Amino acid sequence: MNGKNDADEPVDKDRRNFFKFLGVAAIAAGGIGALRGVLENVSPPITSAFSSFPTLLLYSQAGKPIGTSDLKVNNSTIVLFDYPLQNEPNFLLRLGDSSNNDQAIDPTTVTIPATGKTFKSSGGVGPYKSVVASSAICQHLGCIPPIIHFYPPSSSSYPGKVHCNCHGSTYDPYKGFAVVTGPTTHPLPNTVLAYDSSKDQYSVTSLVGPTIYGHSSDLSGGSLLPSSTYTEITTLTPTS
Amino acid sequence: MPNEKKENMIEKIMNEPQPIPRKVPDYMRSKGGGWFWTGAMVMFAFLYEVITGLILLLYYEPSSAYASTEAFLSSTPFGSFILTTHLYGAYAMVVLIYIHLLRNLYEGAYKHPRESQWLTGVLLLLTTLGAGFFGYSMSGDVLSADATDVGRGIAGGLPVIGNWVLGIFFGNGTQLSLFSRMLAWHIILVAVIGLLFAVHFFMAEYNTIMPKREESGYKAPAIDHDDGSYKPWYPYNLVYMIQLMLLTFGIIIIVPSILALLPGVPPLFSPFPQVSPTSPLAASIPAYPPWFLLFVYKELDFQFAQSLTPFWATVIFAGMPLVYLLILPYVDKSSSLKMRDRPITVSFAILGTVYLASLSLWGALTPGIAIANWKVALFFFLPGIAIITLTWVIADAMKKEKIHVRNAPWAFATMAIMAVSAFGSGILILADIRSPSLLYTVSMILTLMVTAISAAVVIAISRGIFTQRVEVYKPMSKNAYTLAGSGFTASAIFILFEISVINPDTVFKTSLYAIGLGVLLLIGGAVLRIYRATIYHE
Repeated sequence: MNGKNDADEPVDKDRRNFFKFLGVAAIAAGGIGALRGVLENVSPPITSAFSSFPTLLLYSQAGKPIGTSDLKVNNSTIVLFDYPLQNEPNFLLRLGDSSNNDQAIDPTTVTIPATGKTFKSSGGVGPYKSVVASSAICQHLGCIPPIIHFYPPSSSSYPGKVHCNCHGSTYDPYKGFAVVTGPTTHPLPNTVLAYDSSKDQYSVTSLVGPTIYGHSSDLSGGSLLPSSTYTEITTLTPTS
Repeated sequence: MPNEKKENMIEKIMNEPQPIPRKVPDYMRSKGGGWFWTGAMVMFAFLYEVITGLILLLYYEPSSAYASTEAFLSSTPFGSFILTTHLYGAYAMVVLIYIHLLRNLYEGAYKHPRESQWLTGVLLLLTTLGAGFFGYSMSGDVLSADATDVGRGIAGGLPVIGNWVLGIFFGNGTQLSLFSRMLAWHIILVAVIGLLFAVHFFMAEYNTIMPKREESGYKAPAIDHDDGSYKPWYPYNLVYMIQLMLLTFGIIIIVPSILALLPGVPPLFSPFPQVSPTSPLAASIPAYPPWFLLFVYKELDFQFAQSLTPFWATVIFAGMPLVYLLILPYVDKSSSLKMRDRPITVSFAILGTVYLASLSLWGALTPGIAIANWKVALFFFLPGIAIITLTWVIADAMKKEKIHVRNAPWAFATMAIMAVSAFGSGILILADIRSPSLLYTVSMILTLMVTAISAAVVIAISRGIFTQRVEVYKPMSKNAYTLAGSGFTASAIFILFEISVINPDTVFKTSLYAIGLGVLLLIGGAVLRIYRATIYHE
């Protein structure tokens, strides 16, 4: 096909293969070198908003710290606050028995069915040890309130449980938001609260249990809250 | 192939599909053959831009343009490598397009049958400058804010529909709308470039790569005819294309990575974004557009242009050359490809280069300073008359065979360099008289030296002092090639090891990685060159 030049010299197969090897090796070196940069570049760096959990006071929307009297026992309205980042809603519940008297919630050991591991639930705070909180993002597929919410003990369906209407996951807020029925395989992450009895103020200090749904870490993957000292509560009406 | 019937090219391409990719003669791959592949190099730069641009797209946030750019630079691994080489890939693409355009202009490649191919090429220049403008403006730094303001002024000056066009390109006035639009237009224009390029490429395959002008006796149509001796495309041309691609990529990566390590690179050529427009330091940075649009920016400073509105000034100064380029193949219908027979085209090409480069230089030296009408007149008429007359006289003398200019393209190209540096030294002399400074004096001496050297080179070329060396293929000995190839590949593996262990936590280390990678690619190109020399005897 290319007579004039190749005819002068018989094709030396070894030689050709050796040069082929040189060429392929040099280009492959360039390719691997470039690949390293591209691969390391395209995976987004994790930007942690915090190095540790912030302690935030719970504020009402009027801009004042909330007290025990602002929380209704077995409230059928959903009370939420964002923590630790924006768009990470948490339930704020004041739990009671079926006659709406405060019920003390003791820390208990909660099992994570997916892994078999356990953690110590945060337990209730406040004068009656009845105020608890947890992430309000369902651990199954990330549904958020008002689709997932607390049903008071007087409710006809799921009395005293947190139930998600997306796929039917049910959690028990009296027992550290442990899994009652699937399809979820993780309890809700417990939000740890602290109570200042001298001022009758509630603050939120950290999370225990599984990581918030859809996050690689509770402290990253979102924007900071507008304030570094408080977080505001919002209310929603359940859809069903 | 010369048109037997009056079928248009699209019909012909569809009815008689040509073998793609077409085989090419050996001389297009041997020494100096690179001139036949300036378009291919543009394509490789475009390919590089698409790859890095898509990576950048993963990170760019129009809602916080400047912050996301800075975050990408400083806290994303290899961010500075991707961003600075994306910028310089665009610069390389613009430069290569100008080289491609000028070469085809001097060679007469726009003549029959390549008129419409030329037309798509000019449109590609326009879309590339447009995509470059939007891309440059997306960083949200002070330079991009200045460039955007000028762009807004020009677009808004369009009669009647100005505000409508302004809205289409720059949004409703909010920052979010502005940067979302610029991102969208950047990508839309790149898509248009891709489509136009496909058309341009198929036309080039249909019309064949323009052969050496002597092959067709310096007459259009210059068509390459495969006499059956051409080597097949695979592997010969493929290996050559990969070699060119590695060369282009390597240079695109190395240049900005070296600049990134140097202190005090002027804002026009800095591979990094400048400060944010809201920073107190912003006032210290001259309001520059991207360097490839400096000429548009300078013409807005002309005294009479300021009474014209920016839109009409742009129509005159950028629109006229554009129209000239668009209609050129339909006006210059003579069949001769010899430069001596086309003094008008050749002198306009030189003049266009001189105006473009001098206006850019002027814009860089005196950004935003108004220029009096008489100076503008002098600027345009003096070189205009000089170059047109000179070219005409030389062409006439050549035709009458009084003088022989060897390497006419080089002589004419050097003439352009001479004129631009003469203009630059003129400005610098004035500046040095008005406000003497060491910088001006040194630059003045340098530009005067460039002028003198290029004048000497023009004379030397015309008198044939650089005689064309007889092209004899003199390969190195077999063992020398083996040694060189092994050495290159061994150092490639060593460099690969080095750049694999660099921790890209600072811009400095990332730049070292990028320089290493660029050298790796160049080594790949060199090994392929050796491979072609030893195995293909090319």
